[in-house]
Amino acid sequence: MDYDVLVVGSGIGGMESALKLGDMGYKVLVVEKEASVGGRMILLSKVFPTLDCASCISTPKMAQTIHHPNLTVLTYSEVEGIARNGGGQFHAKVKRKARYVDEVACTGCQKCETACTVAVPDQFNADLVARRAAYIAFPQAVPKKAVIDRQGSSPCTFACPAGIEAHGYVSLIRSGEYEKAHRLVLDATPLVGTLGRACYAPCESECTRGSLEGTLPIRRLKRFISDRHVESGEDLGIEVAAANGHRIAVVGSGPAGLTAAWQLARKGYAVKIYEAASEPGGFLRLAIPSYRLPVEVVERDIQNVRDLGVEIATSTPVRDLEALKAEGYDAVLLATGTPRSSGLGVPGEDRLGVMGGTDFLRKVKLDQPVDMAGKQVVVVGGGNVAMDAARVARRLGAASVTVAYRRGRAEMPAHHVEADDAEKEGVAFTFQVAPAEVVGDASGAVSGLRCVRMALGEPDSSGRRRPEPIKGSEFVIPCQVIIAAIGMTPDTAAFAGTVGVGRNGALQADPKTLQTSVPWVFAAGDVVNGATDITRAVGEGRRAAHMIDRWLTGGMLDGFDLRLPVVDKQQVLARQKTYTIRPAAKDGVTLEAAPRDFREVEAGLTEAEAHEASGRCMDCAVCSGCHECVAACPVDGCIDLQARDQELEVEVGAVVVSTGYKLFNADLKPQYGFGQYRNVITGMQMDRLLAPTRPFNTILRPSDGKVPERIAYVMCTGSRDETVGNPLCSKFCCMYSVKQNQLIMGALPLAEVTVHYMDIRAAGKRYDEFYEQSKSMGATYVKGRVAKITEKENGDLVLRYEDIENGGTLVDAEYDLVVLAVGVQPNREAAMLFPEDKLAEDEYFYVAEPDEDLNPGVTSIPGVFVAGAAAGAKDIVDSILHAGAAAAQVAAHLERTQAKTKVPA
Amino acid sequence: MSEERTVTATTGDASANEAPVPQEGRERRIGVYVCHCGGNISDYVDVARVVEAVKDEPGVVVARDTIFACADASQQDMEEDIHTYGLDGLVVASCSPKLHTTTFRGVARRAGINPYQYTQVNIREQDSWAHTDDPAGATHLAISLVKGGIARTRLTEPLEPLVVETTQKALVVGGGIAGLRAAIGLADVGLEVFLVEKEQQLGGWVSRLGTMYPHDRKGSELIDGLVAEVRRRDSITVFTNAELMAKSGSFGNYVAAIRINTDLPELVHVEVGSIVIATGFDTYEPAAGEFGYGIEGVVTLPEFKELVDASHGPLTYHGRPVRTIAYIYCVGNRQPGGNEYCSKYCCAATVHASVEVAKLDGKVHQYHLYRDIRTYGKYELMYTESRKRGSVYMKFPEDTPPAVAQDASGRLVVTTHDTLTGGEEVTIPADLVVLVTGMVPRKNEELMGLLKLPVGTDGFFNEIHPKLRPVETVVDGVLIAGACQGPKNSTESVASGLAAVTQSAAILKVGSAELDPLVATVNADACTWCEKCLPACPYAAIEKTEVRGRTVATISPSTCKGCGGCVPVCPEDAIDLRGYTDAQIRAVIDSMLEEPVA
Repeated sequence: MDYDVLVVGSGIGGMESALKLGDMGYKVLVVEKEASVGGRMILLSKVFPTLDCASCISTPKMAQTIHHPNLTVLTYSEVEGIARNGGGQFHAKVKRKARYVDEVACTGCQKCETACTVAVPDQFNADLVARRAAYIAFPQAVPKKAVIDRQGSSPCTFACPAGIEAHGYVSLIRSGEYEKAHRLVLDATPLVGTLGRACYAPCESECTRGSLEGTLPIRRLKRFISDRHVESGEDLGIEVAAANGHRIAVVGSGPAGLTAAWQLARKGYAVKIYEAASEPGGFLRLAIPSYRLPVEVVERDIQNVRDLGVEIATSTPVRDLEALKAEGYDAVLLATGTPRSSGLGVPGEDRLGVMGGTDFLRKVKLDQPVDMAGKQVVVVGGGNVAMDAARVARRLGAASVTVAYRRGRAEMPAHHVEADDAEKEGVAFTFQVAPAEVVGDASGAVSGLRCVRMALGEPDSSGRRRPEPIKGSEFVIPCQVIIAAIGMTPDTAAFAGTVGVGRNGALQADPKTLQTSVPWVFAAGDVVNGATDITRAVGEGRRAAHMIDRWLTGGMLDGFDLRLPVVDKQQVLARQKTYTIRPAAKDGVTLEAAPRDFREVEAGLTEAEAHEASGRCMDCAVCSGCHECVAACPVDGCIDLQARDQELEVEVGAVVVSTGYKLFNADLKPQYGFGQYRNVITGMQMDRLLAPTRPFNTILRPSDGKVPERIAYVMCTGSRDETVGNPLCSKFCCMYSVKQNQLIMGALPLAEVTVHYMDIRAAGKRYDEFYEQSKSMGATYVKGRVAKITEKENGDLVLRYEDIENGGTLVDAEYDLVVLAVGVQPNREAAMLFPEDKLAEDEYFYVAEPDEDLNPGVTSIPGVFVAGAAAGAKDIVDSILHAGAAAAQVAAHLERTQAKTKVPA
Repeated sequence: MSEERTVTATTGDASANEAPVPQEGRERRIGVYVCHCGGNISDYVDVARVVEAVKDEPGVVVARDTIFACADASQQDMEEDIHTYGLDGLVVASCSPKLHTTTFRGVARRAGINPYQYTQVNIREQDSWAHTDDPAGATHLAISLVKGGIARTRLTEPLEPLVVETTQKALVVGGGIAGLRAAIGLADVGLEVFLVEKEQQLGGWVSRLGTMYPHDRKGSELIDGLVAEVRRRDSITVFTNAELMAKSGSFGNYVAAIRINTDLPELVHVEVGSIVIATGFDTYEPAAGEFGYGIEGVVTLPEFKELVDASHGPLTYHGRPVRTIAYIYCVGNRQPGGNEYCSKYCCAATVHASVEVAKLDGKVHQYHLYRDIRTYGKYELMYTESRKRGSVYMKFPEDTPPAVAQDASGRLVVTTHDTLTGGEEVTIPADLVVLVTGMVPRKNEELMGLLKLPVGTDGFFNEIHPKLRPVETVVDGVLIAGACQGPKNSTESVASGLAAVTQSAAILKVGSAELDPLVATVNADACTWCEKCLPACPYAAIEKTEVRGRTVATISPSTCKGCGGCVPVCPEDAIDLRGYTDAQIRAVIDSMLEEPVA
């Protein structure tokens, strides 16, 4: 057996049970789900009726808990399940949640906290203020070690095929750290400016904000930081490892090749890129039209790669891999993409005036003459290349441009924005037509395209409806130019003798490792997968670089995709009851019906727009992955964002459930306006305002920071109330309110404090005297439940109630601040600790004590005990007594079962 | 070590890295840490100035400030300094010694310094919090206090805690529900138990009760079950008709003298490690005429409970049917100038009784005249049940309590004002008036005297801390359980009885306990046994002894609490307090006075 006792929860009840059992000589394991021991008591201002400072009397107990020789404490850990092991003992599974911070190495210096770019409501301050994603629970936390709150991957980051920390750079932009944001993107790829313009932004499709007023313009935020970086003239600021002596050849300089070269160069490899074309950049430079992606942007991104010492040999096609190897390269990456346009495959396609889509685009990008002026142009195909070709043809002065596509508009593979923009620029579409023959005149030039109309039949393997020709429907579209944009294929004949080549000339490589049948040859991007898009190519390039490095350093070819599971967007949205809808940024695109030049159609974001846009981010995964904490931590290797949860299994002799209680959710009483009226707060929030580690150093009301002069308490909020399903009294709200009344009168001598109560339940040693003291200090206690609260324009609140003690008239009383004395709710996680044996709950879902009269602390499962408010509403002293009783029960159980392992004194 | 937190680190002299040689006559090597307490101190005290002012004090080798001295990381830093600089003394200037003395003694111990060569200087409660209006003065005071602490530390000597072998037996005084449950609990954790009950029968108040709240079990049956459990355990020795007469010995090893009052009274001595006092309560007896008490038909809650418990159908009182009952709450409680406390259990007990009555007689009229109904927690359900069964609750104003009288026909009439219906005067003709009387402390001057346990203003035994140490008393090893500590219901008494079991087991189960060595010692050569110290000791730790043929005082180190009360009354200066010797106190005063007022 590993421990005599497992104590679940380290609030005051859990600590008391654990410490006393430790004193008795038992070995105790304490598991706490938060990052510090102490539970709720440490967060309180003072305690009634002694007015001792709660943290001053808690911290010694917390320190004892951590330092007790017989206690082992696991914070930030959760008990996932406890089952009887057959021998009268228990088997428990404990999840040690990844802190992402080395608990031993962390000095509690809080530099990560200062550097963190994400702010979320601080649960340790009852959501009154924010804390960071990297945080130390509270100033007196024990242990005082940071944790990083990573709830998974944010949907934007998770969606990015390129593996860019989208949430990370958005949060850096929000913090005004544009260079750092730029460097974070550079960490994935050198193509920041390119992706900021030409990426189809899968991140934006996944943005949680999309279900509110619209997605964040994540792509344009990337363009913003790229533009800012260019304006600033700063260095890249990227760390490059010392040369490691290995040489690598990358064949192809498209997004996959450039990204792989960049990553390899940063790791210290000597990289040379071989490019068949006269200019580097692949489709970025040779296909995507300049109005979408200016040439200078691509050239700048390519310069990033050259700045790391990567040599790019243009007009240098590679025809012999073995020869390359013989030149001394340790590995070769093939990333040659899909440079070839597919032909139309109909009679007459060799006529003058018929050209391939990518060939056409390449000519234009290389400033080679293409005569479109005054011509009727038909573009065949429905993909992005077709859209680009059509729009370029418009710009070159074509009289008309018609896109002919064999299926319907909805089935077009082109990004819908591209199709819409093409249409706005005067491109015509004709759907459900397929080319049958290129019609020409005597000179051999094109005069028209004979087409056949298509009907859409059953869905094919791609899920789209299969087009079938309609007999006798042929017709001719008159035209002088036909651009065939119906597909692209790799050009891999030169490699076929060395590595495997499949259908359509695609290279064969392991999809995970990207290694080909020849170990030193890797292949990545479209040359393997067929035409995809830039982000996927970038992602493949990163993967290839990672795998090549692993292979050359003798590691396993794995460990590339370390993303945490994506967070549930519905859960993210549920964090707040309401959201302010904020205007989404305009798309910035200006289109002309008859464009005549290649100016960029989309404007960049202004700084104000970027600030506004990034401010809308909901921090879905909390931690944004900006890595600022890693950079700020003074201890090398202390923060490791790749850390993962760990499972621990222990055998224990007995279990103490001290999982405490939940506070009533005040917004379940809509008539009191909590969550809607900012100056309606809960009792716990008031306790934080009064605590030694209070957030504002005084009591002020949230709406305007005014120091309140008239403060009202609404007792029994969520207690003694059938309408919210809780007919029970919460026991301690009267007393904490009376305590707060006195503290407020001490802090704000001029404030009037009025308590609207049902019965003041000052039942306990010196409690009634404490209540009388409060009355004598000047607090007013008014009998009767408050019916409703309304808010005035200035934030003041009007409480309506029946003035029972003065004739029962209806009164509207005005206050600056209203405190809802919220009560307790059962913590139903307690029963979930036992998936096999049912831990009985009472009728109101507290842990049941079947023989409470004589055996407090004993539950329905032999060997499982309950301590503190998990068994019902208790104040601190009740919890101490109950936890003491539970400890006596545990000791008796262990004596009886002889399950004790003696700890040497 | 974080740079931000280090304002000053001085190594004092060149031999900083030499091995520690903490010996008398040698220069001391002291580390001083001044805490910001996250602003609690540093908002008013210029902590950096304090560090600067004390870093060159004699013996100081390293002086630093720290945001939270008590934080784990800061403790680690101190341990590192102790090793690096070979420190042999430690001063932490932060909060009250009540809070963190053990924390920093732990730091010292872990790093190899004797824990008693550590001094806690309080610059929070005794400085920054008290002088928020005078930062300069607060800083000056902090410098003085820290210099005093350094002076004290220079004169510290290594002390070892007193290790006391403990007797693994416990004495329980009182055989009510708390005492019985405690006795069983103590036996079940492996201790031998002596249970002393004054009466002939075990069981106390609860044994006389029928159905009790909250689980509708009969008090008598609960007690029968417990008594059977007690009898089943060989390790429990029960003395009925018995009283605790004397207590001697010291912590961990008390000797209790028990008188058994049979025809031939007998005195038994038992050795025990802990004593659980569970002597219970008495019920409030109204004065004649108080709310009509004395008139036939006006009864107290215990009398009424007995009546209800004995009934099997509609209540009758002295042969007459009871059709209307009026309850008057808070009799003998919450009375300014009288018993000011709330007895906590009576609201729920009355509400429960009214439900029982309604079950016996669906047509009975019940009127509850109350101030606040305190059916806290789950007991609220009984209050709801009571109202559902027809009880009417009327809140009376505190300044106009109900009046009880007899009308011409001799019938009881209760007059009250009902706040809930606009303060209207209501007259209730009643067959029975129940005065809801609470608990009062048991009169037992002898026991109080022999245990030297303090009582509160309410007359109940006082715990050491009402929040965190509710069953412990100022006398180590003497615990209080049940209603002798304050009003409790049966369930709560049981819980506190078991909590006392836990406290006993925590000190006895491992067989030995450590005590602070900071106790008073007598210089036998100087002592003349003038007996002046005797009345100064609240713990009876001083006894007469013979040393080299002379009669002198001796102080039991395990009984002495180190309060120092005896030191100043000794005309011969023969008593010194370890850790706070006269020499140390003088040095502290001298050092504090050195600092000129700014």
